[in-house]
Amino acid sequence: MHTIVLPRQNLKFTYDIDVEDSLLNILIAQQIFIESPCGGRSSCGKCKIKHLGGNLPPLSFDEKQRLTKKEIEEGIRLACLIYPAADLEIDIIDQEENHQVLTGGYVPQYKRDTAIWKKTIEITKPTLEDQTPYEVLFKKVLDINHLPWDVLRQITLGEGTYTAVFNQDMLIGLEKGDTSEMLYGVAVDIGTTTVVASLINLRTGEEIDSEAAINAQKNFGQDVLTRITYVLDHGKNGRDQLQKAIVDSLNEMLQTMCGRQQLSPSFIYEVAISANCTMMHMVLGVDPLSIGKSPYAPIFVEEKDISALDIGLTALSSFGRVYCLPAVSSYIGADIVAGAYVARLHNRTDKVLFIDIGTNGEIVLSDRGKLVSCSCAAGPALEGMNISNGMRAADGAIEEVRFDNEKGFVLEVIGNKTPIGLCGSGIMAALRELLKHNFVNARGNIVKPEELEFGDPRLSYIDLDGKKRRICIREGPQKILITQGDIRQVQLAKSAILSGFVALVNAMDLTLSDLDEVIVAGQFGAHLPVESLVGTGILPKAVQEKITYIGNSSKTGAFLALMSLETRHEMVTLARAFDYLELSVTKGYERLFVECSQFNVT
Amino acid sequence: MAKSKEELLQQLSDCVFEMEDESVAGVANEYIEAGYEALDGVLKGLVDGMSRAGQMYEEEEYFVTDLLVCSDAMYNGLEVLKPHLPQEEGAGAVNYKCVIGVVEGDTHDIGKNLVRIMLETAGFEMYDLGRDVPLISFVEKAKDVNAQLICLSTLMTTTMPGMKEVVDMLKKEGLKDKVKVMIGGGPISQAYCDQISADGYAVNAIGAVSLAKKLVGMA
Repeated sequence: MHTIVLPRQNLKFTYDIDVEDSLLNILIAQQIFIESPCGGRSSCGKCKIKHLGGNLPPLSFDEKQRLTKKEIEEGIRLACLIYPAADLEIDIIDQEENHQVLTGGYVPQYKRDTAIWKKTIEITKPTLEDQTPYEVLFKKVLDINHLPWDVLRQITLGEGTYTAVFNQDMLIGLEKGDTSEMLYGVAVDIGTTTVVASLINLRTGEEIDSEAAINAQKNFGQDVLTRITYVLDHGKNGRDQLQKAIVDSLNEMLQTMCGRQQLSPSFIYEVAISANCTMMHMVLGVDPLSIGKSPYAPIFVEEKDISALDIGLTALSSFGRVYCLPAVSSYIGADIVAGAYVARLHNRTDKVLFIDIGTNGEIVLSDRGKLVSCSCAAGPALEGMNISNGMRAADGAIEEVRFDNEKGFVLEVIGNKTPIGLCGSGIMAALRELLKHNFVNARGNIVKPEELEFGDPRLSYIDLDGKKRRICIREGPQKILITQGDIRQVQLAKSAILSGFVALVNAMDLTLSDLDEVIVAGQFGAHLPVESLVGTGILPKAVQEKITYIGNSSKTGAFLALMSLETRHEMVTLARAFDYLELSVTKGYERLFVECSQFNVT
Repeated sequence: MAKSKEELLQQLSDCVFEMEDESVAGVANEYIEAGYEALDGVLKGLVDGMSRAGQMYEEEEYFVTDLLVCSDAMYNGLEVLKPHLPQEEGAGAVNYKCVIGVVEGDTHDIGKNLVRIMLETAGFEMYDLGRDVPLISFVEKAKDVNAQLICLSTLMTTTMPGMKEVVDMLKKEGLKDKVKVMIGGGPISQAYCDQISADGYAVNAIGAVSLAKKLVGMA
């Protein structure tokens, strides 16, 4: 018998050596839970622990694959890959830290008032003397005037304990027995690229589990416009395919979470969805075509409360609901309304700017609660697309770059692998360093080697392709180069976002120094440090000290909609209060765009 | 001492090339006051500067926004020189006319503006219909002014089919051979150009110039 000590948690317990038992299983047996999305199949690399003392078997191949060099040096191991046989002292890596990528973010206070609620009732068996129909019995006990026929169909043999499920004041289902303890919902953010879902205990507001997946619609096109064009080319059939792709993903994610939590999907009663306007149209199977053409009017923007079955969402209660958060316009979708709400933009007493950076950059400015928004077409460069050595944020992607004269370019690579290319945060970091060390001037031009003095350390990194200059940030058989064209792509994105930012501030008769806070939202934004945002000039230097991150506020908004009817009403009100600034018709915008293309402005 | 004509032409060209949109008018005035020919000032000065800028753009030395500033400088200079241009150009000289615009449903026009500037620089008489242009307007305007060329631009995949409609309308009117159609924009490709039987596709504003000249048979 051996002992395991967790000093920080003040825990100590004993275990018997069993070759079948991984440390993960031993911990679970002790009710100590570590995030392990793949269920201990060693494929996700999430179940990290820190080795503090005692003998552990040597690092396995998979651990070397899944841990960074830094983590290995710090003694981080993966619990599912360790089969211990000694006294141990370990620490569990903060759950919150592990969760951060998926859910992370600030959750404001809310009044718990869920749309879905339950009531347990007793139905006594009718007698021959009193043949009152069950319908009447239920109505009387539940004190309702009407029993919907689809609920009637759920009544089998009548007597005993029942639990009635309500959506606000509508009876939507009856369950045999007392199931009042079981009340779950799912908060979902459907992004164009990724989908994130959290399983929520509606009784406590606790997030039980969460799951992220790539939006399966990617097979129909990477960006919103390409997918709309798919519908344009394929009509109703195309629309159905896109709806099925995303709904299938949601069903799968719900099932995965239920499986992991050993929860029957029938206890999930509501899925609250936040998404951009196009994704919302597509998940509901509504024609998105009008979003893709000027004047960009969507079919709908208002909140929706519908039956989950109607959109083919089946991995929940058979009478489960789907609630869709309200939007403002084609560009300002429910995701932005949710973000603005979570950031409390509507009742701020100061001046604050909220920005969601992605293929489209949406910006909302709150001047003491008065809201004006704009949208800028940044293009996919910031996400590593259209970049010659660009790639998605996956293993082998460079995510951070540092330059110094001694060491040259020092790269941080996802998965600690041989670098293959640059993901969005990597290209941003690289450009930041190139600007900082004068490889690139304020106009975005790579410095000419003939303008550098003999012996300048920069010379050895400038790579000539005919007349065109490129910067080599990694030598070797697989060179990684940043071309002038790459810099131009990022420069376009930066010009679009910064000019939107400045135009909005100007439109409210404010100056950059008037801003009290700049809130960066979204999954992608969360990966961009202030240093990169300001260093590349996406955000102006004047706000450097005022930048904060709010995480996936879109999903947080969906969570709030699940937990509180009051927040739903407030979000609906908020959505109506948005003003929109159309940049392309704003006077002097082209000039502003030109100014904002320089890397040294503000 | 007054500057020579060559010196001033070089300065005009440099003002455009080096994006000095504020000092160009002064140089243009000096040029006119010295009594030199306005037409040379335009062609060998301003337009020359713009062509050099275009060359730099092609070599990736200049950014889109740099070209926009260059064109601002060119237009500022033109404003001074234009009143002094001879009213009637030499008889017999062909005026190449081109209708340009962003197709219906799309409002992105920076690319289109650049093409207009470069074609103007190359000597085309440009009719810019702006953005989100109803498709029929392209055909009507081309008939109206007797244009030899229509340039269509879009940045969005959703509005690409409008280009085909314009080509089809020209066919229907029996104008397809008389009026050439040139297309461009982010999602456009040569394959798409072939598919809709447009006459040509250019990758960027610089490529558009040589293509336009080829299509209308301009020397």
